[in-house]
Amino acid sequence: MDTNRLPNDQKLALCKWYFKVGCAFLPFVWAVNACWFFKHAYLKPEFEEQPQIKRYVILSAVGALIWAAILATWITIYQTQRVSWGATGDALSFIVPLGRP
Amino acid sequence: MNCVNYSLLLVAICFCNVIVGERLHEQIYSTIEGGAACFRRLNGTHQAGCSSSDAGAVGVVHMIESLSDVEWVVFNGTAGPYVAVISTALFYDTVELFMEHPDNVAGILIYDSVKIRSKSFTQESRCPNEYYSGPNSQCSSDGGGVVWNEKGTALLRRNIPFPVFYLPQSRAEEIDKIQNCYERFNLNKDNQKGRPLCSLQLNSFMFAAMNTEVCLRRSASSSFLTSAKVCDPLGDNNVYYTLFPRGKETEGNKKNVTLVTARIDTASLFDGVSPGAASSVVGLVTLITAASLLAKMIPPADAGLYKHNIMWTLFNGEAFDYIGSQRVAYDISRGQWPPAAPLNANQIQLHVEIGQLGGALLANQGDASWPLQAFAPYTSLPPSEITEFLALASDQLTKANMSLTPTFSTNLPPSSLHSFRRILKNETESGALPELVLVDHGEVFSNNFYHSVLDDEANVAFSYRNISVDSNGTFLTTEELLAAGTMSAADMQVKLARLATALASTLHQRVAGAAYAGNLTASAHLVDEMLHCFLQSQACRLFSAAEYGGARDPPPARPAPLYVGVSSWPTAPPVLAAHLLALLAGTTKEANKTECNGLSSDEYSYYWLRGWNNTGVCVETTMNYTQAVSPAFIIKGYDYKSGIYSTWTESVWQAMWVRLFVAAGGGGARAAAAAGGVATALAAAVTFWLQRHADRIFLRSQVAAVAGGSGDAASGILRSVNC
Repeated sequence: MDTNRLPNDQKLALCKWYFKVGCAFLPFVWAVNACWFFKHAYLKPEFEEQPQIKRYVILSAVGALIWAAILATWITIYQTQRVSWGATGDALSFIVPLGRP
Repeated sequence: MNCVNYSLLLVAICFCNVIVGERLHEQIYSTIEGGAACFRRLNGTHQAGCSSSDAGAVGVVHMIESLSDVEWVVFNGTAGPYVAVISTALFYDTVELFMEHPDNVAGILIYDSVKIRSKSFTQESRCPNEYYSGPNSQCSSDGGGVVWNEKGTALLRRNIPFPVFYLPQSRAEEIDKIQNCYERFNLNKDNQKGRPLCSLQLNSFMFAAMNTEVCLRRSASSSFLTSAKVCDPLGDNNVYYTLFPRGKETEGNKKNVTLVTARIDTASLFDGVSPGAASSVVGLVTLITAASLLAKMIPPADAGLYKHNIMWTLFNGEAFDYIGSQRVAYDISRGQWPPAAPLNANQIQLHVEIGQLGGALLANQGDASWPLQAFAPYTSLPPSEITEFLALASDQLTKANMSLTPTFSTNLPPSSLHSFRRILKNETESGALPELVLVDHGEVFSNNFYHSVLDDEANVAFSYRNISVDSNGTFLTTEELLAAGTMSAADMQVKLARLATALASTLHQRVAGAAYAGNLTASAHLVDEMLHCFLQSQACRLFSAAEYGGARDPPPARPAPLYVGVSSWPTAPPVLAAHLLALLAGTTKEANKTECNGLSSDEYSYYWLRGWNNTGVCVETTMNYTQAVSPAFIIKGYDYKSGIYSTWTESVWQAMWVRLFVAAGGGGARAAAAAGGVATALAAAVTFWLQRHADRIFLRSQVAAVAGGSGDAASGILRSVNC
């Protein structure tokens, strides 16, 4: 969809809807939202709904970044420490690699 | 015109010759057939054995002729990693170098050379089953001092960082194939890099890792989602047979027993080849022969006349920390063995183990002598049962030009005695359970191929005589064979028969309290047949007669591997040994197949076997099986790291194969990569130029017409995300 062709109020509604959906533990939706509406929030000439879109873009971006940091930390810890956790490590794993610790 | 047709035909024929029907894959790779792979086993704390990566290990072939070749591969080879192709004769001197510097080694292919017979080849540790030895054992594989298995490399118990395969002598043509390929491509050692080189790919990827605890946990947890089992406990069945039935013995009326034991299993580093001639077969055959002779000397019907019983037991899984004997000793300690009529430890008045026999046969093949040793763990005055047994047996053996030398020491050779001394400590240390082990070596094994693929019939100087057996299953007596000159006193079959006779006579004295007056002796003919069955071919007279009655596929004409295997997959050897005991030492009942299968009693089992003339025979026997699975796997919540019981498991694998091919030098691959890069750059440049100058090619109006779109927001979201 080309957001350029949407009326401004619908842009705001869409941005707001994406932010709400992202609240349901869906950080990737936030990331998409921040990316998608960045152009309308900062690069387009001013319009009435722009400050609100800006707000949702910032919130989505910050949320997505926090999520990314948490996930990256967890994945690093899990990948490096799984073996030393022993039985807990195996219990946390959906697929245990064959032929190695 | 004709001329044109002919020339067309000629061209067509030329093309046909160039076209090859073979698949490209088959033109590149040549499979090496008949190899046996080293695989992974795990115990409570470690993983042992080999594994390749999932895709298989690839390495440049290097034929090892001397130690300097190994040094070159390990330190100087430039086109590595390498697959070393090495004969069994050179292996002992070179293996440590490979193990210490594995970086440039992709794998090892060992072959049994037709030209040189190796002097030793044993991958067992220097002190077999060291950590499950009884108290005061002195053998230590770390320190100096005398060790049982001097030439042991212990690879069976170590984690090998690369795959290892073995090719037997019968596959010499595969080695020739590798040698030819090596000589064609790899001989220019100093200039290998960047050239096409003869290479081998070894695949033996193992699913399990770490140790038994981890692999069993993963097998259990993953079975919930998928059925990916990664390892199984080792184990199979023990076999026991008593001279007199014990099923109806009542409290206060129980006969004491002499326990006579041997082992069924052996081991080797490689899958499917574990002949175990001197490691176990000679002892096993001696036990079965002696048991069948004693059953003839004292018919089971006379049970009421005697107060003593003989219990013959064959342990399985002894190679891996005494699985079978640990389980029996454990079950005796809790009053559950044998399950039908449990034996009390106090009832065992003597335990005689027929240990490792056969290693000295090769050295003594010229004459009738066979120096035997009896180890008994007594430093002060030995129990009277021991001295009596030794005196009787020694007397019997001396008559046959053989000797029995007693050694009193707590440093016992590897045998089931260790399990009894650990688990039934009170009984064995107080001397209430006297024990001894018969072997044919001194402080050091006489067998240089202990637990090895090369522990075959040649190692015990066995050559099959192939004397026919009549339809009643009567064997020629040793005396008849000697008189007819068919065999001589120097033949190992005769020596084994004489040892079995001496053993049976000694046990007769223990049961009857008097020397045996009859003239029955063990038959060297029977020994010959039995050794042929275990060492050369399962498709033999004895196994065929002892097979279950009814039509079945004939067994393969090769020896059954005697490795214990995993407990969930029973192997043939214990069944074969048990049926031999039933057939040779049991009594025949007049019954047809249906009647026989319907028979049951507290004292006996009934087996419908094929018999000597293939018409089927109903055998009544006291023989039975008990589980040979380590107590570690039946005790709930057992700590696998505690080191009390054997914890060996075997990894699961999917495939094992070896293939030979010529690996490209890498020039072609580099050219392809470069060409790809150039093509991409060119395409990008052209695309950029075209976009820049699109108006020269496309008309403006057409471009505008294409760029239409829909205003429908909801469906648009799904169609594209436009950053």
